Amino acid sequence: MTLRRWIFAASLLLLLALLAAGWQESRRVQAVALTPTLTSEVEYCLSCHADLPEISPSHPIETFGCVLCHGGERLALDADLAHSTMRGGRNPSEFSVVEASCGGEQCHSGSPELNRDHIQRATTSIQSTYAGAIASIRYTFGAQSDLTPRYGVSAVQDKTVISSKAVPELLAFDSTNESSPWIQKFGENCLDCHLSAQPREGDTYARLSGCAACHTPTAGLDIAPGETQLHRLSTAINYSQCNTCHNRGNYDLRSMTFTERTDQPADRLHDYYQPIAQFVRCEWTLDCIDCHTRSEAMGDGDLYGSKKDIQYTQCRTCHGTPDELPLTYTITSLEDLALRQAFLNPVIDLKVGDTILMTEKGEPLWNIRPLEDGTYELFAKASGQRFIFRPVMSSGCLQNPEEQASSACHQCHAVER
Amino acid sequence: MRPSFFHHLHPPTIPALQARLRYTLGAGGLAIFLTLVTGLTGALEMFFYVPTPEQAGLSIQQLTFLVPFGWLVRNLHYWSAQLLVIASILHLLRVVFTGAYGRPRRFNYLLGLGLLVLLLLFDFTGYGLRWDEGVRWALVTGTNLVRSVPLLGEPLYALIVGGEQPGAAMLTRFYAWHIFGLTLLVLILGIWHLFRIRRDGGIAVPPPELRNNHERITRFELVRREVLAMLIGGAALLLFAIFVPAPLAAPITEMNAAGGEPRAPWFFLWVQQMLAWGSPFFFGVAIPLGILLILVLIPYILPNPKRAELGRWFPPSGRAAQIITVALTLLIIGLTLAKALVESP
Repeated sequence: MTLRRWIFAASLLLLLALLAAGWQESRRVQAVALTPTLTSEVEYCLSCHADLPEISPSHPIETFGCVLCHGGERLALDADLAHSTMRGGRNPSEFSVVEASCGGEQCHSGSPELNRDHIQRATTSIQSTYAGAIASIRYTFGAQSDLTPRYGVSAVQDKTVISSKAVPELLAFDSTNESSPWIQKFGENCLDCHLSAQPREGDTYARLSGCAACHTPTAGLDIAPGETQLHRLSTAINYSQCNTCHNRGNYDLRSMTFTERTDQPADRLHDYYQPIAQFVRCEWTLDCIDCHTRSEAMGDGDLYGSKKDIQYTQCRTCHGTPDELPLTYTITSLEDLALRQAFLNPVIDLKVGDTILMTEKGEPLWNIRPLEDGTYELFAKASGQRFIFRPVMSSGCLQNPEEQASSACHQCHAVER
Repeated sequence: MRPSFFHHLHPPTIPALQARLRYTLGAGGLAIFLTLVTGLTGALEMFFYVPTPEQAGLSIQQLTFLVPFGWLVRNLHYWSAQLLVIASILHLLRVVFTGAYGRPRRFNYLLGLGLLVLLLLFDFTGYGLRWDEGVRWALVTGTNLVRSVPLLGEPLYALIVGGEQPGAAMLTRFYAWHIFGLTLLVLILGIWHLFRIRRDGGIAVPPPELRNNHERITRFELVRREVLAMLIGGAALLLFAIFVPAPLAAPITEMNAAGGEPRAPWFFLWVQQMLAWGSPFFFGVAIPLGILLILVLIPYILPNPKRAELGRWFPPSGRAAQIITVALTLLIIGLTLAKALVESP
């Protein structure tokens, strides 16, 4: 072959390579731009993630975009690079990164006065620190002389201690420093019941961690990677979400192990709760969050050593006592917390001037309001169902007004199981 | 046929002995071609690249993912630069192993070594311009090596880095050197190098009275061969650039952050391997400079190959230089492989 022919053949080869370049260019992901108003920086996540549902009505995508919460490389159209700097992997609400993802004065780490201190409260809450269980096990096995909490699953401090029951600081619990083999075993087997812990294997009681442990409904969903249904945040939290931790099985103090229940509970009254416990009807027909308040679930910013220090809702909170009606207050301002909560979960039509129930600590029970006939209406936060209930006063209840703990009410009102 | 501008860059005729692929490997010509590709694609990249710590990584992502054919321009720039290092080293080895470094080509040999040093500086500054997690370790370690030089270390560090640690000042300097300073030097040395090839009598072959083969080829034939080589080289480079993306990682957000992959660019892996052995100055600065010095001294200290033995591989009269160079080459390849293979995941 002559040189000229070689050159001709090589030219064809180069032409072929150029065609290949055009083909490769045409195969590229079609870039879909989004410039969220909060960041004003263009991002291209939707090029691949157009099928994701909006996470919640409070986080519209035109306002927040993706990167503000998730991190990641906003310009990259290569999956590995784009995802390489995401906060918390698939879950930006992991407590290790939550401040960067969900924090900020205008978002979820603002002032307590504006009720924007969610992160500060959640990360110091007993659900996050697990301080109660740690203190109790250490006390039981002689590592400490009282039940005062000293350790949490990670070190945490509280600069403004309000309650006399709270402590200013918890050190990071490290079971390998403990001399008792029981406490060591506790450290090995029992530290997966807090908000930062990854759930145990198996999907029956699977949940996410961090804020999403509660606010991303997983009950009944397959949470395998790629599941778009998980892109959801909600304040309408079903009881089954709470049960991904709170009715998951039994621990055994003799072997210091946790035995996960293997059944698929169907009947809430008989299958879910401890057989020896007593319950009144509202405790298994309503959802947990219909009675238990935001500070009970997420903490009040103080570091406690026992659930009892923060949990305070009793039957009387809604039903009152033989002497007193439940507390109420009238909404006077558009800034009222109750209106914000009702906006996030619009099961009730609240407005300024409405009267609603209030706990003894002053927290709004924004889904309950008195009716003119002396009864009360409650809108279930998860289902939206309307319930009517009566106060204890004038009901003929003979219980001593000084002994109004729920356990006393259970004596007469617990259901047959 | 009237010779064109490109024909006029070549002598009217050259001995056929000078244009044997098996003798020259075409490495020098390939280096010129890759230099041109690198320069052209680099000029295109300059339309998008923003040399600030905040924008550098993002602007490369913009170029790579959003600009039409931007990925191709960047891949071509990256791969032609890597291949240029290989082609230049092959060219150097060819010159040593054929004894072409002797008089009168001693000075041009030095110019060539100078070009190789400039090329490595080009590669390292270009590597640094990525300003992403993949290069962070090399930036910190590479600049800290400068500090280890006795007496001159701190002033040199200040000159290169312009601050307490690699930051905006260093990125600007790397950018200025990469697109202007080094380019200017490579142009000067490169043109000088090409001029000296013709001044020194073309590619090394025995003088006419010692040759058997007196055949000559015309500049037309020579240009056709060059065009063929460029077409094949260009197509191969293009196919490579189409299917193998240049590396890119997340932009650096904190220069001294923990973690990150401690990995030098591939052409300095051998130095990184030695750094584990002790003194940064000795292993990281003195030994590489020492190797360069040995290469510089080869034509001046060792006996030059006999003129009759030119134009062929491994002339016996150049044995000492060949043995030294083989030893150095094996050392560098061995150290590189030790680092690349043993410690890769």
